Amino acid sequence: MISAQGLTRAFDGRVAVEDVSFEVPDGRVFTLLGPNGAGKTTTVRLLLGLIAPTSGTAQVAGHRLGRGPDANRALRASCGVLTEAPGFYDRLSAWENLLFFGRLYELAGPRLSERIEKYLRLFALWDRRDSPVGTYSKGMKQRLALARALFHDPQVVFLDEPTAGLDPEASLAVREMILELKREGRTLLVCTHNLDEAERLADIVAILKRRLLACDTLDRLRAGGDGQQVLVRLESPAEEQAPALRALPFVRDAVARGNELLLTLSGASSQVPRVVQVLVQRGAPVLEVRPAGPSLESIYLQAVREDT
Amino acid sequence: MNGGILTLFLRREIRDIRGNSRVWPLYLVFPVLGIGFPVVFALLAPLWVDGGRADRDAQVIINLVQRLAEFRGLPPSEAIARYLLRNAAGIFILMPVALASTSAAFSIVGEKTQRTLEPILATPITDRQFLVAKLLACTGPTVVVTLVVAIVATVLVDVLTAQRYHTLLLPDRFWALGAFVLSPLVAIAVALVTMRLSARATDPQATVQTTALFIIPAFLITIGVFGKLLTTYFPALVAGCVIVALADLALFRSNVRRFQREEILTRWA
Repeated sequence: MISAQGLTRAFDGRVAVEDVSFEVPDGRVFTLLGPNGAGKTTTVRLLLGLIAPTSGTAQVAGHRLGRGPDANRALRASCGVLTEAPGFYDRLSAWENLLFFGRLYELAGPRLSERIEKYLRLFALWDRRDSPVGTYSKGMKQRLALARALFHDPQVVFLDEPTAGLDPEASLAVREMILELKREGRTLLVCTHNLDEAERLADIVAILKRRLLACDTLDRLRAGGDGQQVLVRLESPAEEQAPALRALPFVRDAVARGNELLLTLSGASSQVPRVVQVLVQRGAPVLEVRPAGPSLESIYLQAVREDT
Repeated sequence: MNGGILTLFLRREIRDIRGNSRVWPLYLVFPVLGIGFPVVFALLAPLWVDGGRADRDAQVIINLVQRLAEFRGLPPSEAIARYLLRNAAGIFILMPVALASTSAAFSIVGEKTQRTLEPILATPITDRQFLVAKLLACTGPTVVVTLVVAIVATVLVDVLTAQRYHTLLLPDRFWALGAFVLSPLVAIAVALVTMRLSARATDPQATVQTTALFIIPAFLITIGVFGKLLTTYFPALVAGCVIVALADLALFRSNVRRFQREEILTRWA
């Protein structure tokens, strides 16, 4: 579990993170969204005890944040972290790098070797285990960094942009890995700019811009969003209909995706029959109309812009 | 202290030295000098003394050396050989200053530029463990190389001169204390001072330059000022070892106290 209460951190009078409070129960994925410089990395560093809060406190994996340089050893031993930059010794092989970090996590002997092998195979790096990491592609380094974040079996995992630099297939594998870790009961905090990824993974979504602008489940965030969204499925391509619908006074936006139209209506759902009427008049048979909450993107942009 | 962590950093440091073209040449040059100077001095001493008999200035030097308590009553060439060897031991102070400072300059700032510092500090490693491991990694190779060079130089000098002098010129007590005690202590002091700079730097090259401009000259001037005393008055050498050992302790404690993870991560990373 991760629990933050009023975490605040200022650097030379500049507040980087202010009064951040949230709770992540065991086995949940918490995604932290926010623009660059919003304080996501600072929040992760605070929760890992790498930097001390100016005020507030936190509890991670059953360990309360302590003061002093060596007060958070047990906390850090229970956590895995994928830092913003992978950070490896380029002259050492993947095996040697994991051996190095494994020993720092106090793993040793056959147990350490088994873990390294398991995660190198899992992230498709086994065949290149003896190559210097300096010869790896960005995606391979990212996968190796994920292996390092997980191979000591942490209860809580902090992932800063886990799919950055990965191709779609590798990104999918990482997302599946995150869901697998969640099924195993681990708690994950994922910092990301990828809203689609957050939407797919998150049990709880938080939007941070120095302070928490929103923090709730995606369903609740959608319910509280401004404007009504409706998904209309047509028999024909939706692209042709979008301009006509955008022209309607109560349609704020119309986004076409294949045969589907995602409409953002400014009024209540009473406007839906009028939309259907227009479409039918234009000769576009309507197969389905159903409510759709605002996208995470619109929730995010609204929250961030309102704070500006 | 977990010995595994120490050897882990040490082994990685050795790999780094082997791969760093700005560091490994020093590990070739200094051993050559460390072996070459004593051997050349030992072999040249009799030639210089024999050739210097007609030279008034040379004779003055020979007389001065023979007046030193340590060399009184020795044949001139042996006295000069021993005197030159004692001065050649200075290379065992220069070696750790140059080698340890270069390794230490890369120590912490190198972790920053490779972006490995944060993943390391995110592990359960303590500040003390990290700093001791880094210190050992910076000084270990230096001390081992210095000791090996001192032993090789001793053996070579003795093998080449034993027949002539019917005695072993090395190691004498100055040589032994200088190479085997003072030299590692100086290596530790230099590494500790340089590591402190390295923790507050963002560019390894800047640290190397600062080290070359300030730290190495400062140590060499100190050794130069006290060199004569240290090579002629044994209690002064013993006192020098004690002072450097105490300085090492004070520097280490100060480094641990001043090692601020968050300052390094947020301001200097």
